[in-house]
Amino acid sequence: MAEIRVEKLVKRFGTVRAIDGLSFEVASGETFGLLGPNGAGKTTTMRVLSGLSPVDSGEVSIAGIDALRDPRAVRCVVGVVTQQDGLDDDLNVRQNLEVFGFLAGLSLRVARRHTREVLDFFGLASRSEDAIDELSGGMKRRLAIARALMIQPRAVILDEPTTGLDPHSRNRVWEELAQLKARGVTILMSTHYMDEAATLCDRIAILDRGRILALDPPLELIEKHTRGDVQELRVTTASHSSVRAELERAGIRWREVGAVFRLNREADPAAVRSIAGTRSEVRRANLEDVFLNLTGRELRDE
Amino acid sequence: MTKRPNQAPAPPMTRPSFLRGIVGIWYRHALALTRVWKVATTWFVIEPACVLLAMGLGVGRLIGTLPTHGEYASFVTPGMIVGMAMYHAIFECSWGAFQRIQSHSVETLLTTPIGIVQLAAGEILWGATRSALSTIAVGGLALGLGWLDPSAFPGVLLVSMLVGVEFGAIGLCFAATAQTTSTLSLIFTIVATPLFFFSGSFFPMEILPRALQIAAWIAPLSPGVHLARGFATHDLHTTHLAAAVYLVLLGAASFPVAVWLLRRKLLR
Repeated sequence: MAEIRVEKLVKRFGTVRAIDGLSFEVASGETFGLLGPNGAGKTTTMRVLSGLSPVDSGEVSIAGIDALRDPRAVRCVVGVVTQQDGLDDDLNVRQNLEVFGFLAGLSLRVARRHTREVLDFFGLASRSEDAIDELSGGMKRRLAIARALMIQPRAVILDEPTTGLDPHSRNRVWEELAQLKARGVTILMSTHYMDEAATLCDRIAILDRGRILALDPPLELIEKHTRGDVQELRVTTASHSSVRAELERAGIRWREVGAVFRLNREADPAAVRSIAGTRSEVRRANLEDVFLNLTGRELRDE
Repeated sequence: MTKRPNQAPAPPMTRPSFLRGIVGIWYRHALALTRVWKVATTWFVIEPACVLLAMGLGVGRLIGTLPTHGEYASFVTPGMIVGMAMYHAIFECSWGAFQRIQSHSVETLLTTPIGIVQLAAGEILWGATRSALSTIAVGGLALGLGWLDPSAFPGVLLVSMLVGVEFGAIGLCFAATAQTTSTLSLIFTIVATPLFFFSGSFFPMEILPRALQIAAWIAPLSPGVHLARGFATHDLHTTHLAAAVYLVLLGAASFPVAVWLLRRKLLR
């Protein structure tokens, strides 16, 4: 049964359709990712599902509850992690969790027990009496996720769980989310990191301008929307303009992605190798390429 | 109640009561205050004590007794108490709430099963609690100095809390609309300071020019000062009843405005 069901959701900010007829379903126990660049409508979707943002039309059902009519009931059973950590600087680590649990309806005794449990789960037990500003960025993020688990939710909604984190912290968050999934918790997350989506998600919806462009498991997305391999040209000693001139002369079409020339697949390998001052590489296509092929733009575009 | 066979399974967690949200917000503030109690003591005791002593001992000694209102120190005390109660509620619900909106910790509160009404009510309840704490501190000092009659204390405390509710709601309106701390500071320059000085706390309103008198009586702190002074002098009549009604109405009218503005700000 679908744990989260979104149907024909529309939300406008003035004349802009931030969400433009969005429909998808997340199965119970599934980890589902919304992947897209900034401005694609990810955060708005997350906020709508959490009851933090009104919509113009559409339907949302979460855990069998009409989420647009009764958002407070949804938040009794679904943990919400917003994009900002939103930690309370006036309280210490433990108090942040206890107050949250109390507001969610737990008795103080149960809130204290859950606090110990989630701090243990996140390896933060030794920091329980610390002030928030004594924590690293990664710890703050993990505490924000821990907070959402205070209610022992059946589903969590995570808006960009690792944006701005260092690689080590990202890996820890990934590990912890994988453990949550193993416990059967349904996870809906947004991200603009394709590696994050590929690592964690059972299925990914590629979102752009408030619409879903494609929705499949990560490998199927790559199979369907790329040609498997991608040939790239890295500039070593040549100038970018001379490489452009040579590619044009050889009749090879390309797209510049950052400092790399991503070549059209029909490029003749011999012709490519003959371009001086460059190094050519063939790699497996990834979700970044899926997005590029679907939209003609990069995932990192603002 | 009979159980229908196809009834949906009960959600694993029961929904918290409406009151839980309000109490929870209040609890958050109480915890935060206990973490900084040493500094907080100075807000509640030292600063208002300075103002009270300066007015009562300093100005009071120059003036002695007022022709129609008795000893100046006893005249100024209820007004000072209520003025301080206003400042505490305003500070908490405008400055404090604004900072917490900016830091997104208010958004976090809204990821629990509470709604905007409970958020606003909890914030205002805490504002009124701070007003009460201030009145206990300043009023306690005034009791010790003999400027306030012990039997007047409960009435003055009640007035302080009503003033706290009113200005808590007004403070939230500013917190929800201010774009920056400099626009937020307008609540002190255009609301709190003029009210503090022109609501009959320091001098009887009769001595103002007629046009200003009307404005001063309408001003939202005046009913609180008038009512507190009525309790302090044990001289209550119909104007005090009118002041009580006006005070309650101001609070009741500000609350839905605060809720509306907060909803506009936080649920976009």
